[in-house]
Amino acid sequence: MSIPFEVKFDDTTFSQKAYGQDMVMHCHHYMSLVTALSDQLESINAVKILRESAEDSIRTFLDAYFTQNNINSSTEKLATAKELYSVLGLGKFEVSGNDAGGEIQMKRSHVDEGWVQKFGKSSKFINHFSCGFAAAMFAAAFGKSARSYNAFETASIAMGDSEGKIVVKAN
Amino acid sequence: MTVMRDKVVKALVELNIRGDENGLMPGYNVLVNFLPTTFWNLFTERLINAAPADKKEEVLTGLYKAAQECGYHTGYGIINSDEFKSVVMPMVTEGAKDVLRGAYAVFTAWGWAKSGIVQIKEGERMVVRATDYYEQHIKTGGKSSFMFSAVSGAFFDLAYGPEYPNGLGTFIGDQTKGIEAGDEFGEVLVRKK
Repeated sequence: MSIPFEVKFDDTTFSQKAYGQDMVMHCHHYMSLVTALSDQLESINAVKILRESAEDSIRTFLDAYFTQNNINSSTEKLATAKELYSVLGLGKFEVSGNDAGGEIQMKRSHVDEGWVQKFGKSSKFINHFSCGFAAAMFAAAFGKSARSYNAFETASIAMGDSEGKIVVKAN
Repeated sequence: MTVMRDKVVKALVELNIRGDENGLMPGYNVLVNFLPTTFWNLFTERLINAAPADKKEEVLTGLYKAAQECGYHTGYGIINSDEFKSVVMPMVTEGAKDVLRGAYAVFTAWGWAKSGIVQIKEGERMVVRATDYYEQHIKTGGKSSFMFSAVSGAFFDLAYGPEYPNGLGTFIGDQTKGIEAGDEFGEVLVRKK
């Protein structure tokens, strides 16, 4: 499945926009360091902050994309979100599920592979960004509000598994 | 001729951005992602606002260091990339100063900041201004542009510090003005650490 993805350059502000959202390129160093910082700052719930920031920003982006491309059914929305994950350079996964929750099998992962390139194998789950993405994807697909889904890893490419796995459960 | 930012930006801006068959974007010796700016801004904003007084410094330093390291490694990848060599290098007539100007043009093309050098004393200090930058939307009540300030320091490290990868942190970027703090533009002063 190949989906349309249009980026527009604003000649005045020199910013890049996709579906009304300002977009920016970043590298795996930054993603890894921000992830490590969130782990280091667990005493102020920084992992939760990272996940929820991912959920909220991705939800807005997905809703805008779905509206502007007339994507209406839950099945189409899940399939399109999966493709958008790849388009954005985040990796590749398979997804299954319904409004009660589901599962993501992570085949390739910017967050995990970037972490391994930067720090080596991890001793714990670090793909907090994708857990936020997963929560946003299910909520957007099934028309639920933010924090309707809890997403957590049960396997991790960063920890040495051949594939990652994220379980999504309706709260 | 010197490096003309707007010409470089328009040549380098990558409007066909998308992940490859593995959903990854390798380029400039790093893995690139392309995300809504709101993700990075919300994370920074919520983290700073959640930090109690005794954790504030750790949070601010952590955010600065993440951006600094990103700018150093990605900056190195940028100035050694084929794109940089073909688009920017033909305009370079003033050595390291022009390479820096080119690096800021790429910084702009990536969507980080519409920025440019306004003052430079080679190897010692530099003032950079930005009239639009994605971090200007962070709401913490103060100056919060860690990418803009730390990457500026890192670019100066690459231009005038010890040879890569040993120069990280030779210079630092202090944010002196910020749109997010009520100023008309963002400004960073880079100086020796």
